[in-house]
Amino acid sequence: VPQGSLRGSSGSPAQRKIIYFYCKPIFSVDIHPDGTKFATGGQGEDSGKVMIWNMAPVLREDDEKNENIPKMLCQMDNHLACVNCVRWSNNGLYLASGGDDKLVMVWKRAAFIGPSTVFGSSSKLANVEQWRCVTILRNHTGDVMDVAWSPHDVWLASCSVDNTIVIWNARKFPEMVTWLRGHTGLVKGLTWDPVGKYIASQADDHSLRVWRTVDWQMEANITKPFSECGGTTHVLRLSWSPDGQYLVSAHAMNNSGPTAQIVERDGWKTNMDFVGHRKAVTVVKFNPKIFKKKQKNGSAPKPGCPYCCCAVGSKDRSLSVWLTSLKRPLVVIHDLFDKSIMDISWTLTGLGMLVCSMDGTVAYLDFSLDELGDPLNEEEKNSIHQNIYGKSLAITSTEAQLSTTIIENPEMLKYQQERQNSAQANLGPGSAGPESSAPKLNSVMNGESLEDIRKNLLKKQVETRTADGRRRITPLCIAQLDTGDFSPALFNSAPILPSGSSMSNQLTPQLSSDSSPGQASSLGLRPSHDPMLTSPPPNSTAKGLKTSLLLTSASKIEPMKALDSRFTERSKATPGVTAAISSIAGLTRPKDSISALKDIKTKDDTSSDSEDKMASINKNLSFSKRKPETLMDGGEVVEKRKKGRPRKDKMAAPIVSMEPAVFLEVENEVSLVAGSKLSQLRCSRDGRDWNTLLPSSVVTAAGSSDVVAVACQDRMLSVFSSCGRRLLPAIQLPTPVSALHCTAHFVMALTAGATLSVWDVQKQKALVKNESLLTILSGADTTVSQSLLTQQGVPVIGLSNGKSYCFSSSLETWTLIADKGDSLVQCADFRSCLPTQDALVSPGPLAVMQGRNLNAGRLASRLSSTPHHLQQSMTMAFLENQLASALTLQSAQEYRYWLLIYARFLVNEGSEYRLRELCKELLGPVHKSAATAWEPTTLGLRKRELLREVLPVIVENLRFQRLFTEYQDQLELLRNK
Amino acid sequence: MAKVQVLNVAVLDNPSPFGNPFQFEITFECMEDLPEDLEWKIIYVGSAESEEYDQVLDSVLVGPVPAGRHMFVFQADAPNTGLIPESDAVGVTVVLITCTYRGQEFIRIGYYVNNEYTEPELRENPPIKPDYTQLQRNILASNPRVTRFHINWEGSAERMEDCENVDPTSNSKVPPSCLPGKAPPLGILPDNSMDCL
Repeated sequence: VPQGSLRGSSGSPAQRKIIYFYCKPIFSVDIHPDGTKFATGGQGEDSGKVMIWNMAPVLREDDEKNENIPKMLCQMDNHLACVNCVRWSNNGLYLASGGDDKLVMVWKRAAFIGPSTVFGSSSKLANVEQWRCVTILRNHTGDVMDVAWSPHDVWLASCSVDNTIVIWNARKFPEMVTWLRGHTGLVKGLTWDPVGKYIASQADDHSLRVWRTVDWQMEANITKPFSECGGTTHVLRLSWSPDGQYLVSAHAMNNSGPTAQIVERDGWKTNMDFVGHRKAVTVVKFNPKIFKKKQKNGSAPKPGCPYCCCAVGSKDRSLSVWLTSLKRPLVVIHDLFDKSIMDISWTLTGLGMLVCSMDGTVAYLDFSLDELGDPLNEEEKNSIHQNIYGKSLAITSTEAQLSTTIIENPEMLKYQQERQNSAQANLGPGSAGPESSAPKLNSVMNGESLEDIRKNLLKKQVETRTADGRRRITPLCIAQLDTGDFSPALFNSAPILPSGSSMSNQLTPQLSSDSSPGQASSLGLRPSHDPMLTSPPPNSTAKGLKTSLLLTSASKIEPMKALDSRFTERSKATPGVTAAISSIAGLTRPKDSISALKDIKTKDDTSSDSEDKMASINKNLSFSKRKPETLMDGGEVVEKRKKGRPRKDKMAAPIVSMEPAVFLEVENEVSLVAGSKLSQLRCSRDGRDWNTLLPSSVVTAAGSSDVVAVACQDRMLSVFSSCGRRLLPAIQLPTPVSALHCTAHFVMALTAGATLSVWDVQKQKALVKNESLLTILSGADTTVSQSLLTQQGVPVIGLSNGKSYCFSSSLETWTLIADKGDSLVQCADFRSCLPTQDALVSPGPLAVMQGRNLNAGRLASRLSSTPHHLQQSMTMAFLENQLASALTLQSAQEYRYWLLIYARFLVNEGSEYRLRELCKELLGPVHKSAATAWEPTTLGLRKRELLREVLPVIVENLRFQRLFTEYQDQLELLRNK
Repeated sequence: MAKVQVLNVAVLDNPSPFGNPFQFEITFECMEDLPEDLEWKIIYVGSAESEEYDQVLDSVLVGPVPAGRHMFVFQADAPNTGLIPESDAVGVTVVLITCTYRGQEFIRIGYYVNNEYTEPELRENPPIKPDYTQLQRNILASNPRVTRFHINWEGSAERMEDCENVDPTSNSKVPPSCLPGKAPPLGILPDNSMDCL
């Protein structure tokens, strides 16, 4: 009968204690990551046995004597034959066991009410914890000798006497990833590279093989140190050092003496070994910590080189502990056991160690800092990893620590729980985490208590007769099982939040503001500014327009999934709306734009019945009147047009605002009055028409729901209200107009003389006054390829060299907002910080100007081998550029979008100073004072609201919980004020 | 490993007059959906001397069994007194609950049953011919004896493998295919499940 009794004494230099088990061999031992319990595996009475033990009685004598503290927590007899290996997952949620029954079982703590004892168990030892087998992995055709979880619990590997290694998908058990075949003997040990690049295995075929995780092919086959190996050991548990630099094998031979071979990661060289054991080495286990020399009081601090610590157990029943900085072992303990050592497990603190033996006992050894040195903290360890491999384990390892970090703040706890719940809600039915299984139990029982059910069970239960007259009872299900919930969420590795729903929330206000007619702002066919549109020949314009527009919308703009349902419903009813939204928001679904364009086409058909009427879009004409020096692309088309110039130019530009579509029609030289030719501008909207006459030929026209602007050949610019009232006196432009845009109540004119002006019609003010483009048009061949005016009246100019500028009226200067050749864009990698995979880019002018370039950048980053720290800096710089650009563009939604990505990036990368500064800026001064120049809003977004959105992101890294608490409290304080 | 684990058996209506039906409330847990029904039996051991007095009180099919925790009450009529040797009517005997899946018994739960007269007078001077109407049946519910057997839960494909893996010590004594009525007397059940009374 298993009983924990301790044989305690102190040895030198390490203390040792021994727990007696019953006399069956113990093959494996593993300490839980949280250090509170450990598992053993071995032979049971008539089956394999997995047991989970309480660590406290092992560590403290008082706890051992206290009868109220259980020593054994759970025992599982489910393996049919001897258990060779037990291993906890890195997050501590699962235990994997492999045995002679060819099976790997994965165990999970059962959360809901369970039996306190095994029913009918003769030993009245209660199972304090309930561990349930949640999956059985069957694939091996021979005894399973070793199992190992990969870093971050992505995979589980198992090896067997069937000569194979199986890699299982630990997030989707029992899915198998691959077999690793190649060994020609029994595979008896496995170890993962701590960086996750390799897995190594050792087998009876006198070889140690290293396999790559990227393609699961063999990287190295090391045979030389093993060629002399005779005889066999039950296990060959090899181990990888925590810095990843060394791999140490079990049983190897050097000059006829048993050794543990050191294999260097660099070139898999085998120049060193641990010598001294009299018999074969069965197990090697590196301490999870990296150490540095303990600073002695008074002595000058010496920059000591970090080193690792390794324990070696052998068939000779002795244990040796080595530091890689010493040539001799730190300690050798002989005769610790009566039989061979089978397994070793270190505590996560690196100061304690459990060793188990065939003789049925487990020994605990604890070390002092004086003996081992100062363990590096996780950050220092990560920086070592980063220096060597350029790949940060910081992000994921902090997540792995989540379970062990104490949450200090109830708000923080709430956020964490909400996060978990939402993660679980996303998993759909059939999966439930530990927290949600209790309510689930209730739901199965419809709120009845178990007692109520039991009272009436006999009456209530369904009993039928089968065809052959036998009784058949349908059992009452009182709880569903929480099996098979190997979801990534539980492994804390995939970035979750905010979900798609918040994305649509983000969209909704924008869409709804557009759909209120009074505010509706943009000229419908914004994409018509694309140079592609200038090419269609006159008589097929409608068709050309359709195709090219389709092209534009489909190719330039990512279709969005997260559209509000109201939006889709509405778009079916009034196609015009869709078109308007598509151009305003810069997003559309191709399907929607088709319907919208059909609508336009039909209107065009009716209006262009006379053969010389030409339906065209405004810009075509503007080119025809333009001076030879080309500012814009598409000059060729213009030249052609000039040759075959129609006698009368007529132009219909549908201003598709909300409902219904608005059409602008210009007819030049419509009548002669006193020798001067008059042109007519006609606007139709919802059956209400207005027209006005202009003294000169109209070159270009543009409109928004608020204003209509026309520029004439005589360089006069006129602006009318949506009802045809003249709003501004005729403005004299310095040179002929090249492009004209209206958005909301803003009018922008780009002239052939390379100057830009923007007026705010409402305030009757110039925002940009004849600003020259020459500053940005450096270089001979640079031309303007794109121009647009945002909702906030910010002019944006895209150049043929891939750069985009906007003119900031507050800074009174041109600012660069996008550069397609920017190497930062190429290398920035913020995939992990994106809110969802679907919403790649937030709609807005910044997205329009940068377009697909962002995706290309992300792809490039995946391919490039930029060192991590460099890439981190580049990504940071890129994200800050994006924020600044969104700010000058006054694009609030995009600012918010990039702000949240930036915040998540800072949280993931652990950049505390920047994060703190950001929070500080968003919070502003808590106490009002006259001297502060802090603005409570930015781009119309309340900064403190933004902070409220940023805080849940901060929660995701428990390292920042102090920061979170600090700002959460201050926000609360301000709210109460 | 076993797909079905019996978590608890509660003995209802206990103690009770000898003629009352047996009632067991059985709670069990199933790891995955079972394609076939479980078959439960209550066997009354009429005499410790010989298996031929065993009576199968009833057998029921229980299903469908999806993965999860389930409970049901198994009720079966009292044993036919005519089949019980008169000398064994009063005193200690055994009732067994067994469960089989695909014809293979994987669990056997045994309870000691004490039948005695409630009247002190009858206790002192029991009639030669037992008066079953005066007998009280008391099942020692606190002390179930559970024996579990490894069976093949899958289709026939794995039968071979399972046989290989089953520890012969547990299997040689009780073959998985226990026929009804051929239940081994308590005395030779594997000792890991039995204590002496």
